[in-house]
Amino acid sequence: MTATLPAPARPRRGRSSTWVGWSFILPNFVGFAALTLVPVIASLALSFLDWDSYSSPRWVGLENFDRMIHNETFWTALKNTTYYAVGHVPLTLCAALGFAVLLNQRLRAVQFFRTALFFPYITSLVAVAVVWNMLLSPEVGPVNQFLRAIGIDSPPGWTTSTTWAMPAVILASVWRDLGYYMILYLAGLQTIPAELYEAAQVDGASGWQRFRHITVPSLRPTTFFVLIMLTISSFKVFDLVQVMTEGGPGRSTLVLSQVIFREGITQGRFGYSSAVSMALFVIVLTITVVQFRWQRRSER
Amino acid sequence: MKRHLVPTLAAAAALALLTACGGGSPEPAADGRQTIKLALWNYATTPEFKAIIDGFEQANPGIDVQPVDILADDYAEKVTTMLAGGDSTDVLTMKNVIDYSRFGTRGQLVPLTDEAKKLDPAKYSGLDAYDLDGKYFALPYRQDFWVLYYNKALLEQAGVAESKLHNLSWDGYAELAKSLTKGSGGGKVYGAYQHTWRSVVQATAAAQTGSDLLGGDYGFFKDQYKLTLDLQQHGALMPWATASSQKVTYNTMFSTGKAVLMPMGTWYASTLLADTKAGKTKVEWGVAPLPQRATDGKVTTFGSPTAFAVNKNSKNADAAKKFVEWAASEAGATAVAQAGVTPALQSQKILDTYFALPGVPQDEVAKKAFKPDQVALEMPVSDKSSDVDQLLTEEHELVMTGEKSLDDGVAEMSKRVKNEVG
Repeated sequence: MTATLPAPARPRRGRSSTWVGWSFILPNFVGFAALTLVPVIASLALSFLDWDSYSSPRWVGLENFDRMIHNETFWTALKNTTYYAVGHVPLTLCAALGFAVLLNQRLRAVQFFRTALFFPYITSLVAVAVVWNMLLSPEVGPVNQFLRAIGIDSPPGWTTSTTWAMPAVILASVWRDLGYYMILYLAGLQTIPAELYEAAQVDGASGWQRFRHITVPSLRPTTFFVLIMLTISSFKVFDLVQVMTEGGPGRSTLVLSQVIFREGITQGRFGYSSAVSMALFVIVLTITVVQFRWQRRSER
Repeated sequence: MKRHLVPTLAAAAALALLTACGGGSPEPAADGRQTIKLALWNYATTPEFKAIIDGFEQANPGIDVQPVDILADDYAEKVTTMLAGGDSTDVLTMKNVIDYSRFGTRGQLVPLTDEAKKLDPAKYSGLDAYDLDGKYFALPYRQDFWVLYYNKALLEQAGVAESKLHNLSWDGYAELAKSLTKGSGGGKVYGAYQHTWRSVVQATAAAQTGSDLLGGDYGFFKDQYKLTLDLQQHGALMPWATASSQKVTYNTMFSTGKAVLMPMGTWYASTLLADTKAGKTKVEWGVAPLPQRATDGKVTTFGSPTAFAVNKNSKNADAAKKFVEWAASEAGATAVAQAGVTPALQSQKILDTYFALPGVPQDEVAKKAFKPDQVALEMPVSDKSSDVDQLLTEEHELVMTGEKSLDDGVAEMSKRVKNEVG
């Protein structure tokens, strides 16, 4: 077949390379379109409908959004989600960077420590949550026993206290996520040319100065990536909170994804649930766009 | 109704013809046998499912029942997702009436109003829970209600006569729980254990004061909360916070002798019977009526029925209906009782079957416990039920952990139910 076709004298660059390009991304794009893009668009449409997944949907316009902004639970969840992100993002970032720098040196058993820190990330989340709950148990948990032993008479109630439940969740999530971001930072550190450090050393720069003026600026692309990923994952947090506190006590750790889950899957109000997920989408998108702008400006 | 009659009859006739011709219809298999799928939970540890399936298959040799086993904790969500996805599992077990009302009002279940009308409401105390504006979509096969379990050996050790539990008030219960609490640290024995569920406090209060859990005015909770918080403060109850964060199971607390008294549903008796038989526990247990506000000899408790329903998407609706009807019948109730579970159909004959089981406590206290005068519904059925349930659970956590004072908590419940649900 191919032999009978006259070979084109010269491939016309524009169109054919576009097709080649498309064909390369097609397998991935088909999956993305079917499993992500279509549901996202469907969710946008659903947010203007009243639908229980069974009977035929009914157009309600902005009613879902109106209900959302007048709903106290939505605002509580938004506040909690922001609280979580504000705690989780910087702490994970600093911890991941710190451990990456520490484990980038030629130390004995460095491989062991790298693996150990990565372990939480690949451990079953349900097991992680159960263990953390036991560690943080107010009466008999080792954490509070230790705190009592060093003279703190009334240690926090952790997951059973409205004040301390969110810090407890943040603590567990930092512990869980830092291994993954540490690996990203380790990869970033490998790309920094050793000559820069040698030159700085010759000029008499201290360890801190080298870190401050070589490591941190050279890692900017990695930091940017880590920051974006962390922010998005923080706002989307669901699994850890669901298995650790189920949003409680009361509503003190209720996050937006849980509201979406409860309203949609549990209560069958898919329209309202979609409206909340649209709100979450807009929030995450806005923050990401701002981060991109800020990154571009600081590159100039 | 009439409009559908002719096409329905025609379809039924066509179907009968096809079946008669020897399996032209896709449903029955080549040998004429039909298979219906039944969604249920924890098949291995919930003995009545097997009892019902075996009994039904024996009575209907042409139909096989295939269990679809789902983890109990995920049951409601899993079934919701299945139904949303158009799953055609024929029979669905209605684990509680709140889920039932959701599925029923959304039109996901086949109406069983005619079948329900055939049942005697005087004998089926849980039946009216399935009344959704005059329509029924499920038939109950099992009715659980709350009783007070007690550890016979520990009670004897403390020198308390079992007859004291025959007519116990909540104040008497509190006094007893405090006096039965012993030891400390790992070897501590609590006088009582109340599980973390809000119903332990709230549904008890609602049933015994005759109040409405959906009403939006929750002052009637206060006595029961005061009693529970006081016991917790005295160390006679495991603190709610510990039980919750450690995910303590009530079975462990009771069957290992870490608590003497425990209000719990009748379903726990079947677990105890099975565990004793399997040698998993050696606890000597007894059953008493749930403590009351007044000691006038009348027993008011709360509970909830469990039912089977037919999926609207079922392709074997007739066989599925047959199954649901059989499970609710006297034959079904006998099978349920023999499995150590309290069936929805209540009659002396069924009770006798239950008490004839080896291991079931035989004394007068137990006989009174299993024949309560009134069983209120744990949660009234309405389209508000699941929202109110969520909200009351949240506030219950805050009151029990001491994050909110009792007065503030109850005020907040009332306020939130009026603002957010009402």
